[in-house]
Amino acid sequence: MGTAVSIELADDLPSPELRALIDDVCGWLHEVDARFSTYKADSEVMRLRRGEITAAGGSGDLRHVLSACADLWRDTDGYFDAYAGGQLDPSGYVKGWSVEVASARLAAAGSTNHYINAGGDIRMRGAHPDGGRWRVGIRHPWEADKLSWVLALNDGAIATSGTYERGDHVINPRTGQPARGLRSVTVVGPDLALADAYATAALAMGEPGLTWLAKLATDGYDSAAVTDDGRAFTSPNLPAAV
Amino acid sequence: MRRSTAAAVGTLTGAALIVGVRLSVQPPAAPAAAPPPVNLVDNPSPKPSGSASKKPAAGKKTTAPAQNKSGLKDGTFKGKAVDYPYGTIQVTLKIQDGKITAVDATYPLTGNSATINPVAIPKLKQETLQAQERGNVAAVSGATYTSAAYQQSLQAALDSAKA
Repeated sequence: MGTAVSIELADDLPSPELRALIDDVCGWLHEVDARFSTYKADSEVMRLRRGEITAAGGSGDLRHVLSACADLWRDTDGYFDAYAGGQLDPSGYVKGWSVEVASARLAAAGSTNHYINAGGDIRMRGAHPDGGRWRVGIRHPWEADKLSWVLALNDGAIATSGTYERGDHVINPRTGQPARGLRSVTVVGPDLALADAYATAALAMGEPGLTWLAKLATDGYDSAAVTDDGRAFTSPNLPAAV
Repeated sequence: MRRSTAAAVGTLTGAALIVGVRLSVQPPAAPAAAPPPVNLVDNPSPKPSGSASKKPAAGKKTTAPAQNKSGLKDGTFKGKAVDYPYGTIQVTLKIQDGKITAVDATYPLTGNSATINPVAIPKLKQETLQAQERGNVAAVSGATYTSAAYQQSLQAALDSAKA
């Protein structure tokens, strides 16, 4: 996958325990990679593509991911599409989901104050070491060393989809062309998998995505977006740090 | 607001609006002191610009009385003020050459009525794009970076600072 993962555990636990927790997260992420990577010929996803296994006969995790992707395809009016490239590629969902699960595993194992940042998608729980909320910056869509917003949360997820790192990797399914109109979309909410998928879908929609994002607020997902021409938009209850 | 006033016009004027009527909403005047309601059919309001034949000394309108083929007198006429739960709406018609050339409606904006909105489409609010220094954030959310790009990223700087 090549995604850089940063983990901070803020619990007052002995070092060996903290190290064990980190190892568990890394082990989980490698397991996810082995199952879902489209770059590993023997991953479950690739075997499903080749028809060597059926979805119904796949692992529980595979079935969950396929089901979630179907829901997202419907809820985003087709802008999130795990089959957009012609073949199954659930990476857009798996990325956020793997971290969402990692955070849940940490919490179950005794870490209630932490954050995990996997390639820009972040899931946080509890308090920062200083006792306050986790402060997270949103990278400026043009200036790599600046922030366009600072958010503050105790529990929740922040996902950003943008065109400034990997270029035209998000396709608008209606046009078949690279998405245009929005340069950066950040979604904040309870579930990182959904936040990530929503951010990507909104980016694919272009400027009409701004209206779609606004509707998510009633479901508990706030957003901040920047257009290609530098206009910035936020939902009313975006948890911006004061 | 446009939707509710269109409905009010439909109700007040009854018969199908003349094709080509432009409905616009006027900026609200003080709604509390409503002018005496005047029924559109019975008599046009003498105040704004009544038909000269009715009040020759009105002095507000200088054109000759127009009894047009359509049967509509030229002038500006107010319909009956109708009380709705959120206030009073009054429609005004302007007639020229026997045709309705404009329809306006006043609507109250004070008090509770100000909170009655048409179906509000939720919108994101626009603001100025900031470019702040990193400050004391714990993490940075951005578009997915490759491992190579991570090295240059703000997140890497944060991680190494904490190591």
